Amino acid sequence: MSYAQRRRFLWILFLGGLVLLAVAASATTMSRLKLNDLAQESTAVARLRCLGSTSLWEQGEIWTETKFEVEQREKGPLPEIVTVRLIGGSVGHLHSRVDEVPAFRTGEEVYLFLWARNGEPYQVLGWSQGTFRIARDPRSALEVVTQDSASAPIFDPQTRTFRRGGIRNLPVAIFRERLHKALRLQNQ
Amino acid sequence: MRARGKQPIIPRISAALFAGFYGVCGIPGANGYAFNQIVPDVRQPASVSGGSACPVAAHEIAAPGAIAEQWSTVLGTNPVTILTQNQTATGRLNEIEQAITQSMAVWTGVSGTTLVPGTFAPIARTATQNACGADGVNSICFDQADAAFTPGILAFTRVITADIIGVQVGTGAPATQVGQILDADIYFDPSSSTITFATPAALATAPTAYDFESLLIHELGHTLGFSHSAVLSAMMYPFAPAPGTFTGTRPTVQQPDAPLGNDDIAGLRVLYPNPSDTVNVGSLSGHIVPANPLSLPASPPGVTGIFGAHVVALDAASGAVIGATLGGWSCSAPGPAQFDGTYLINHLPVGHSYQIYAEPLDNTVYPSLVSPAITSLCRNPTTDAGWPPLQACVVPQVNTSFTTRTRPGT
Repeated sequence: MSYAQRRRFLWILFLGGLVLLAVAASATTMSRLKLNDLAQESTAVARLRCLGSTSLWEQGEIWTETKFEVEQREKGPLPEIVTVRLIGGSVGHLHSRVDEVPAFRTGEEVYLFLWARNGEPYQVLGWSQGTFRIARDPRSALEVVTQDSASAPIFDPQTRTFRRGGIRNLPVAIFRERLHKALRLQNQ
Repeated sequence: MRARGKQPIIPRISAALFAGFYGVCGIPGANGYAFNQIVPDVRQPASVSGGSACPVAAHEIAAPGAIAEQWSTVLGTNPVTILTQNQTATGRLNEIEQAITQSMAVWTGVSGTTLVPGTFAPIARTATQNACGADGVNSICFDQADAAFTPGILAFTRVITADIIGVQVGTGAPATQVGQILDADIYFDPSSSTITFATPAALATAPTAYDFESLLIHELGHTLGFSHSAVLSAMMYPFAPAPGTFTGTRPTVQQPDAPLGNDDIAGLRVLYPNPSDTVNVGSLSGHIVPANPLSLPASPPGVTGIFGAHVVALDAASGAVIGATLGGWSCSAPGPAQFDGTYLINHLPVGHSYQIYAEPLDNTVYPSLVSPAITSLCRNPTTDAGWPPLQACVVPQVNTSFTTRTRPGT
């Protein structure tokens, strides 16, 4: 398969994924949020670099607070360093977990759709749905983003194939273009 | 199974693997299903940690009446959280409780496990407003506006496990096993004006409501130690049916586990194996390794196989998915986990032929993207100060860009 053919194949798969995204209805723990929904519902959107996490007990639950350096603001006012608080984490010998709540590694870069009630810390909107991790191809240095909720491979017994939904391996430039379009829609 | 390693210039997605892999061998053992995994704290004495850094699947104690569950009768009214067919105050509560009891019975109706109808203690009611919390009591709440909710979250289960024995949560009993679930609470979102849930009896007349029973069966799976499954037909698949519909088949007295997929059933047999079971004792195992070992990641050291591939076993006759796992690691005491490409699908019915499918991964995927089940396979001095280096490991990046070939295994 030539380079052009492979690229075309990738785009076909990507568009197929978008169709699957549209077909999927809702989640057991989540209702499906499309990019436009994320853009509309979020308090802020930014490209962030993880500085580290701490877990603590508060109000009878274990929470994890992750500090991020803001690299690029896409929506909403954000300070230079933003703290995101999510349920779950480890304190002492106790480990609290909620599926679909994202965890972050120091140094990794992400686009996050942040959401907060008045006066409360930021959370990630829709958890795995509002988390877009940035990866860099070591050869081409091309940056791509993948939505956490889109990364799990799905096996369809009917067709005996694996498939994916959501945004996956999308070049950052295209992702930002789509994000800006969604944000413009919100402002109209 | 042998995978052919290749590093293409651009991200590549290859066709799904089809392997003519027949035969069942009886090799029971631990494996890496989509369970909530926990690495015991081997910094503590072996008498409380077990001494091994091998991941342990989170689990409940499967003894008669050992799993206690309560539900809060405080229900959201504006908006109404749960729609019922019976509109009287008592009738509503009874209808909801019946759905809860039936959902619990789904998981105790599977043959070949130690979860039996008596494993759950009779469901208790509480009139407490905020009954859910880390207090050592498993609770189901419908009107608790937890701070963790954001738009788009319908319901969630928070599970707390222990990495040594002897610790406790709230008033709960101390853990007697490593990986024991000490508190699992289920929260349904009460605050959204657009989200309602309906009991099975009410669903037909509430086409915009989510099926309460389907969601609850799924969430109860988390309370038993399951993470999400990537098999479309599984109850633990993270996406529910559309509003007004339900997952699988409704449970019946004759078949209480009817809503579960075969993948859920196989997983339950792995998590709660019945030692006297003589039917579901088959295993499929193998290694996914690159033809060119140089294609393996150099860091972290010690990676000898493809990590993170999704492997699915189908019944050759019926085509039904019998089991699935995220392959790529194994572990034997004293640990740590070895990233050697091992996959193992366990507790399969004997006397059947199976076909194996393996997912072709593409491009860079972080472990945290694949499954929460594999993000916690390792601990090390960086994550835990004072962790013994000989029992330390680092979860590698999920392997990328391989096309697959197979050869008969054993």
